[in-house]
Amino acid sequence: MWTALLDWIDSRTGIRALRAHALDEPLPPGTGWLFTTGSVVALLIGCQVLTGIGLSMYYVPSPSLAYDSLRYLMSQVPLGALMRGLHFWGASFIVVAAVVHLLRVFLTGSYKAPREVTWMTGLVLLLVILGFSLSGYLLPWDQKAYWATTVTISVAESSPVIGGVVANVLRGGDELGALTLGRWYAAHVFLLPGALIVFLVAHIALMRKHGISGPISPQAGAPVPFYPWHVAKDTLMMAAVFAALFTAALLLPAHLDEIANPADADYIPRPEWYFLSLFQLLKYFPGPLEVVATQVVPGVVVGGMFALPFLDRGPNRHPWAPSRRVFTLLFSMVGAGIVALTVMGLRDAPVRFDPNVWGPQSMAGYLTAEDGGNPCARCHVDGGPASPVQVTRISRDEGWLTFHMSDPAAIAPGAKAVDPTAEPMLDEDATRAVLAYLRRLRAGASPPEVPAASATVVKTLGTRCVACHRLDGDGGDTGPELTHIGARRDAEAIRRIVTDPNDEYGDSMMPVYGPRLDAGLIAAIGDYLAAKK
Amino acid sequence: MSTAGPLPGSHGRRNFLSRFVVAVQAAIGGAVSCVVGGAALAPSFASHTQSWQRAAALADLADGVPTPVTLRLIRQDGYRQVVDRRVVYIQRDEALGVRVLDSTCTHLGCRTRYDDASKHFVCPCHGGVYDMDGSVLDGPPPAPLRRLEARIDGTDVVVQV
Repeated sequence: MWTALLDWIDSRTGIRALRAHALDEPLPPGTGWLFTTGSVVALLIGCQVLTGIGLSMYYVPSPSLAYDSLRYLMSQVPLGALMRGLHFWGASFIVVAAVVHLLRVFLTGSYKAPREVTWMTGLVLLLVILGFSLSGYLLPWDQKAYWATTVTISVAESSPVIGGVVANVLRGGDELGALTLGRWYAAHVFLLPGALIVFLVAHIALMRKHGISGPISPQAGAPVPFYPWHVAKDTLMMAAVFAALFTAALLLPAHLDEIANPADADYIPRPEWYFLSLFQLLKYFPGPLEVVATQVVPGVVVGGMFALPFLDRGPNRHPWAPSRRVFTLLFSMVGAGIVALTVMGLRDAPVRFDPNVWGPQSMAGYLTAEDGGNPCARCHVDGGPASPVQVTRISRDEGWLTFHMSDPAAIAPGAKAVDPTAEPMLDEDATRAVLAYLRRLRAGASPPEVPAASATVVKTLGTRCVACHRLDGDGGDTGPELTHIGARRDAEAIRRIVTDPNDEYGDSMMPVYGPRLDAGLIAAIGDYLAAKK
Repeated sequence: MSTAGPLPGSHGRRNFLSRFVVAVQAAIGGAVSCVVGGAALAPSFASHTQSWQRAAALADLADGVPTPVTLRLIRQDGYRQVVDRRVVYIQRDEALGVRVLDSTCTHLGCRTRYDDASKHFVCPCHGGVYDMDGSVLDGPPPAPLRRLEARIDGTDVVVQV
């Protein structure tokens, strides 16, 4: 019955002839494992397409919802974190696989006539893949996404003459915001996939037209059918890469930083590792020379790659053949340069934000907003006029939030006359702490328990001291970091400095806290910090 | 390029490799499809969590007459929180205690209203008529008005939503 059904389908569609055309291609004898790299790229593209479709069912390209939609996917949807993990790690895997494929094509001289256009469509595909990485990076709308994209657009802005126009087109205006996210999303899910399909079809069609280049030196023997002999090698290689990708997605969850905060001037942006070499290169070309790093060097490298088949025209495909040595040497130098810059960039990377670590500022915010009898709970409770603080999204700018926390009755700034004599409900320091709490709350682990005895100390550290000192990742850099202060000072010394820093340092910028804080609290701060070895 | 010839003694190996290729590629495709399909379908089968909510003060309810009350329901809508408003009729009765009926017509979802003269719930869309206890008296509704679990908690009526 199956045969009869297949016969009928074949008679109407010619599917058997199509299958034979696709699978029975004769390959040159000796075509081995080296020629499986393209299939690995194809597998990873398929994987990205499928997981991308899954992600698009949840993701919302809007600054107010993008982050929450991803957070929801990762924390509430079964298999959601694994699906995003596959897409996130797949992006890195695909860059590596595409570069490995390019290296193989270079080393075996497979770009030589008549395969020049195949090589060029492959280079376009590599650029499209990098375009995917770049545009996908902004979409989570977290701190890393926001600031890395700010840098990317600034790089485009540094182009001579047209830089300003290009940057405005990329941003959809003067500022990075909702319009930027919309157009980068459209590029990621419509424009780039369109380009990918066109060039992938062209690349494979050209590969079939000219056949696989095969071993560098032709080998004796009969051609081998593509299926199943070579497909089995492809499949084994694909299985190994897929197993590695799946393991990475399973064991190393995709990163999600705190929600984007355009007001945060302290954030040090870093691109993803595959753009780190360009980022590092920028450091050596400051000021007006920046264009050398952003445009000239990448332009020469990419242009040189496109021109390669027309420069290296000799028939010999061996990488060390006299006619190819110079190209192999240049290619190796560029490769070594990219690797060296990437390694230097990785070494130079700042300590990565860990959303599971709660610093004193976010802890102070937690204690302010969630402690029993706190002022926020007057409205932010289950069944109350506003949602509980734990599920409140940060969809307003800092100005609005600060205003709201100083006078919650004024829901919108300017809607109600401000009474200048009234005490603010939360002062600026406490407001900053609550904001830090709200950001941290939605990014990582739940806040740790704080012993009642330490609550006032943590609140003081998180609202006052972090204004100048960094402690467990929170705070400013005006004063010395306090994360390991216990290794340098004992409790008594810290108590003395907090009480009157001028006693210790002579003329200090630090305020004198002796008259402002209770002596018992200062002593407790000394004990708390002295334990931070 | 010349045509590929069969490899010597290759028939058994060819069959084995064909099966291997199909099995491994199906496993890879199946793994990705399970993850994506699972994540896509999971919310469709999530269970609805119910909670008790205060609906009205007993003192505000007239004895024996269904009183319309608008419930304010905060619920999680995927990644956002929304406020739904649902009108229920609360009827207090010495014998019954409290009876709470959802005002949504079971025919096509219009909102029914209580007609004091006839003592019936009437649907303005297609003429469905329900008795005071929610049972169908006339028209197209296929089922009685939905009854919500309710109880008296001190001086309030609480309902399960």
